[in-house]
Amino acid sequence: MYNKVILIKDTDLKRQDKTRDFYTHLLDYLRENNLHSEILLVRVADIGVYDKGLVLKMLPDRNTYINVQDTDIKRIVDSILQGKIIEELVFRPKVKQHRIVLRNCGNIDPENIDEYIFSGGYAGLKKVLGELGQQKLIEEIKISGIRGRGGAGYPTWMKWNFAREVESDQKFVICNADEGDPGAYMDRSVLESDPHSVIEGLIIAAFAIGASKGYFYIRAEYPLAVERINKAIKQAYAYGLLGNNILGSSFNLDLEIRLGAGAFVCGEETALISSIEGKRGYPHPRPPYPSVKGLWGKPTVINNVETLANIPAIISKGGKWFAQIGTQTSKGTKVFAVTGKVKNSGLVEIAMGATLREIVMDICGGTLSGKPVKAVQTGGPSGGVIPESLLDTPVDYENLQKLGSIMGSGGMIVMDEDDCMVDIPKFYLGFCVEESCGKCSPCRIGGFQMLGYLKRISEGQGKPEDLAQMRRLSVAMQKASLCGLGQTASNPVVSTLKYFEPEYNEHILNKRCPAGKCSHLVTYSIVGDKCKRCGLCVINCPPKAISGDKEKGFSIAPEKCVKCGRCVDVCKFKAISKD
Amino acid sequence: MAKIVQAKINGILVRVPSGTTILEAAKGVQIKIPTLCKHPDLPASAACGICIVKIKGSSKMLRACCTPVEEGMDVITHDPEIIEIRRTVIELILSNHPNDCLKCGRNNECELQKLTAEFGIKDESFPQFIRDLPIDTSTRAVDLDPKKCILCGRCVYACQEMQDVWALSFLERGIKTRISPAGDIQLADSPCVRCGQCSAHCPTGAFVEQDHTSQTWKALQDPEKYCVVQIAPAVRVSIGEAFGYKGKNLTKKLYAVLRRLGFNAVFDTSFAADVTIMEEASEFEERLLRGKNPLPLITTCCPSWVDFMEKFYPDMIEHFSSCKSPHEILGVLSKTYYAEKNKIDPAKIYMVSIMPCTSKKYEITRNDEMFASGFQDIDTVLCTRELARMIRQSGIDFDSIPDEECDSILGEYAGAGVIFGATGGVMEAALRTAHYFVTGKELKNVVFENVRGIKGIKETEVVIDGKKLKIAIAHGLSNVEYIIKKVQEAKKNNQELPYHFIEVMACPGGCVGGGGQPYMVTDELRIKRALALYQDDDDKQVRCSHQNPYIKRLYKEFLGKPLGEKSEKLLHTRYKARPIYAK
Amino acid sequence: MNKLSPADLEKMQKAPNGAPKDWIKVGMGSCGIAAGAEEVYNFFAEEVKKRNLQIDIKKCGCAGSCYAEPLVEVSVSGLPSVVYGTVNKEIATKILEKHVISKMLVNDCIFEVLI
Repeated sequence: MYNKVILIKDTDLKRQDKTRDFYTHLLDYLRENNLHSEILLVRVADIGVYDKGLVLKMLPDRNTYINVQDTDIKRIVDSILQGKIIEELVFRPKVKQHRIVLRNCGNIDPENIDEYIFSGGYAGLKKVLGELGQQKLIEEIKISGIRGRGGAGYPTWMKWNFAREVESDQKFVICNADEGDPGAYMDRSVLESDPHSVIEGLIIAAFAIGASKGYFYIRAEYPLAVERINKAIKQAYAYGLLGNNILGSSFNLDLEIRLGAGAFVCGEETALISSIEGKRGYPHPRPPYPSVKGLWGKPTVINNVETLANIPAIISKGGKWFAQIGTQTSKGTKVFAVTGKVKNSGLVEIAMGATLREIVMDICGGTLSGKPVKAVQTGGPSGGVIPESLLDTPVDYENLQKLGSIMGSGGMIVMDEDDCMVDIPKFYLGFCVEESCGKCSPCRIGGFQMLGYLKRISEGQGKPEDLAQMRRLSVAMQKASLCGLGQTASNPVVSTLKYFEPEYNEHILNKRCPAGKCSHLVTYSIVGDKCKRCGLCVINCPPKAISGDKEKGFSIAPEKCVKCGRCVDVCKFKAISKD
Repeated sequence: MAKIVQAKINGILVRVPSGTTILEAAKGVQIKIPTLCKHPDLPASAACGICIVKIKGSSKMLRACCTPVEEGMDVITHDPEIIEIRRTVIELILSNHPNDCLKCGRNNECELQKLTAEFGIKDESFPQFIRDLPIDTSTRAVDLDPKKCILCGRCVYACQEMQDVWALSFLERGIKTRISPAGDIQLADSPCVRCGQCSAHCPTGAFVEQDHTSQTWKALQDPEKYCVVQIAPAVRVSIGEAFGYKGKNLTKKLYAVLRRLGFNAVFDTSFAADVTIMEEASEFEERLLRGKNPLPLITTCCPSWVDFMEKFYPDMIEHFSSCKSPHEILGVLSKTYYAEKNKIDPAKIYMVSIMPCTSKKYEITRNDEMFASGFQDIDTVLCTRELARMIRQSGIDFDSIPDEECDSILGEYAGAGVIFGATGGVMEAALRTAHYFVTGKELKNVVFENVRGIKGIKETEVVIDGKKLKIAIAHGLSNVEYIIKKVQEAKKNNQELPYHFIEVMACPGGCVGGGGQPYMVTDELRIKRALALYQDDDDKQVRCSHQNPYIKRLYKEFLGKPLGEKSEKLLHTRYKARPIYAK
Repeated sequence: MNKLSPADLEKMQKAPNGAPKDWIKVGMGSCGIAAGAEEVYNFFAEEVKKRNLQIDIKKCGCAGSCYAEPLVEVSVSGLPSVVYGTVNKEIATKILEKHVISKMLVNDCIFEVLI
């Protein structure tokens, strides 16, 4: 039996991994001092701290020491034995994950309602039905300051209150689980890992407005989420948490799942309503807002998965507790799906106000390649690209908007210097052009024309006057499009034009792609003095564009080269240049 | 009573009932906000993005067509920024439109063309992109050229909501979005009933009536042909709109124009409407008094309605009047009675119908009975819009051409015949004669006020011979379901019949609102056109079909009696179920 | 199952009596399953049976560290709970033999982050 455990990991990226060496040295020291049966050493694959040299973490007290040297061994072991902390070495991270939405994710069995209840589940609902009542419930949500996590950040209590105030024989609550941003999967994860928290949030929302029917609108591409929500709904019915007289009260609610066919625009609430009604997923003008006239013309509240998952926690711990987390205007936490060129891709939940740099560098460990971060894209195809120089911006709704991006649903894509700032908006805009419902002309044709400019620029056909045309187009799209999709589709273009105009000009004027991404503008060649004439590239070149022999050396025939990049990948000597 | 809200538009104070859109409110203070998708006749679809306006204090722009005025709103409808955005949007639409205006069916009448001219757009700022999509001419009535479609959605709304036909829908998405029948089939294989409301509401040349002017010109030039023409009731009150008149009855001017165009004889469909009444009222009398066929009797003057019923309610066939529509009756009479009387070879007679309707183009070859004369009874159908074009092409000075009379006797109509053009008109005309047939007595007051007017479904009762007759009138096919469902229910449960007599017209307002009528129709205009028809009726000495001396003569000299052997052969037709999506 | 009353709910939230059991929890979100969590889960279930070990094999959702899936959390009395990442059959065997049976931690496989 060990009382103490030391976790060891070398986090220095610039040198060879010294974890094993240090492990041996430390183990030797423990053996010499006959402590090896008392203190357990273990090399770990990841220690949650990055680029801080050798890192040690002590269990059970969880002290973390960074930049540890061999010479520190003695005092570290001593301090453990004495139960002291070495202040010069200790590392106290500025930012930590703060799990509210993800509180149960990875802890409980999502298919077992008892585990959810055991971890405090449905206590919020009990409180709402028992003590709070409609008015106080909405008041509590108002105090919490929570805003919609679907992207627009509309205060949740206001949505509920509007719907509550409208008199109607029937009202609806819909959980918007039509997560569609490329790279974003927070909602899927919550639905799969903690379905009851969302269901509980939805029941509370239904009670707040007096709805008797709820829907989960989940995209059919999320089969596991659908399966788990389905099971969870059945369990909730069996426990009397859905159906008639919930928890013995007079409140009734029925809940069912509607599958979306995967159109991006159906995440827009008016299009989502059309879809549930069985119509083509076309957005409709607002007002009237769904909270007044929504599904089947009845007052309807539509909340995002993450918003609903927050609700039980807010009720259980109180609006005041929630309101002290986050920034002045944006309360609570936000879950981000961090992907792209990042080391630790995954879900991160932080209190609002953490900076982008903290998220990307401290929590997610920087880039996988070790190359510097060039930019971070937030908000999916509706968001913008934020350059490295602005990564110290604290994350909240207003700040991201000021930078030309949006919070969005929580996609965060990290880019390094191999990402081209013409190619990135081309990708996002291509997505929106593909997903535009086609109803209104500014989005339908504007997006298509804009994409044409980007394609031509990336192919070396751009003209200097194109940038002005693109700016004109983006204004028309922003101002004249009917729904959020069209209004924000140009954001990736606008933000890259704002922060990376020189890169556009490089493409247009010099027909060069600095990131080496736009294949039309890249020429591959073999650097003579680096080439060791191994011939690996010759064998691997699909169109056989590389010729020569080991005597004279090799060269790439540009007219045959299809710019696939295979030679770069296989060359062990970095002898292929892209320019 | 709606609440009144007060707001400012371009600094001008407006007070409008709550719910009024900015577009409407602006119109009230003489400000026209441009739009390509909002039709005064239809709800806003918010598709084009041109009617955007600013609200002071908000960075967003809102669509005037669908945003209601709110208390205290300060709206700006025109400023350089708004105009620039509108221009960009129009340029975008043009980049996805063929712009071959000179060869387009809507040239000079196109809303996009007009707006382009207003904005003075000369250059193509964005590269053209037009998908190569084929033109659908399958209906023989209305052609769909999806390349010219700007996806305003008016036709889809008209087809789905106004007409409940659901032939049209949006297919695909993004830049590939297009208008087509679901399943990407031809219109003729779809539920389309050829009512042409799509073409009447289309802002561009995407939906245009199939043009038959050139074959008409060709016939008029052919010395071997004896060209005759008939005008439908509703045409006389709408043709003037092409020449600056609104809601004016121009019957006699039209007769003169048609003669100038080269027609050998000019007839009037209203005369055949009187014949229709003789037959239909007799049918009604038979069903009512002798129970030969079941009641209710349903009118069949409207070929779109006939098509709709054959597709959606084939169980109603036994209730249908077997009487052909008036223009078909005139067609067959011209190639039999008229030909005999005037010793003209019927093979040489070329009959052109001027109709407010696109569906009549399809009707003329609907089945074998449309060839009752031994020839195709009607050779060509032109709708009002086509006639207007022919008049312009002919160089006739429409304004100053003096009135003329039509050719006797196939043009001599009673007041009853001319009100066919308005919803409720067929019913009123039929009631006038049915009353006489049933009771043997003439009515003192021939006006049935309850069957008139623009209300979508009219239900009323009339007393004939002490018997209460229940009547229903529907126009706009979406209003049919309510009535037919009632009949079906009653039949199923062996209950008392909800109605004795039903009139249906496919188009809102009846034929005055027909799919082949001049563009930009509104209810206001439909009412104006209808009033002009009722005035014509009012001005007539003879107001009932059975009193028309020429009708009496026709039966005496030629037809014998209503529902007689000859009438049955020439004037009646049959119906069959036509399952939709059969292919 | 019976419909719950508020009192039932409260009862269910109280900790159960008795000593805590040892368990292994496999992350079975889409990300985990895509990385092979199902195979790992089945492997544990079979091996535990075969070796007659007194340990529960449980499922859970995604803890967020999707890059390190399949994630396996192991709680054995006498050792701190740790999360192993990128677990395959080979690592799973080590977890059973070293961690569960010999009460040692497995080197080079622990992902401490995020949890």
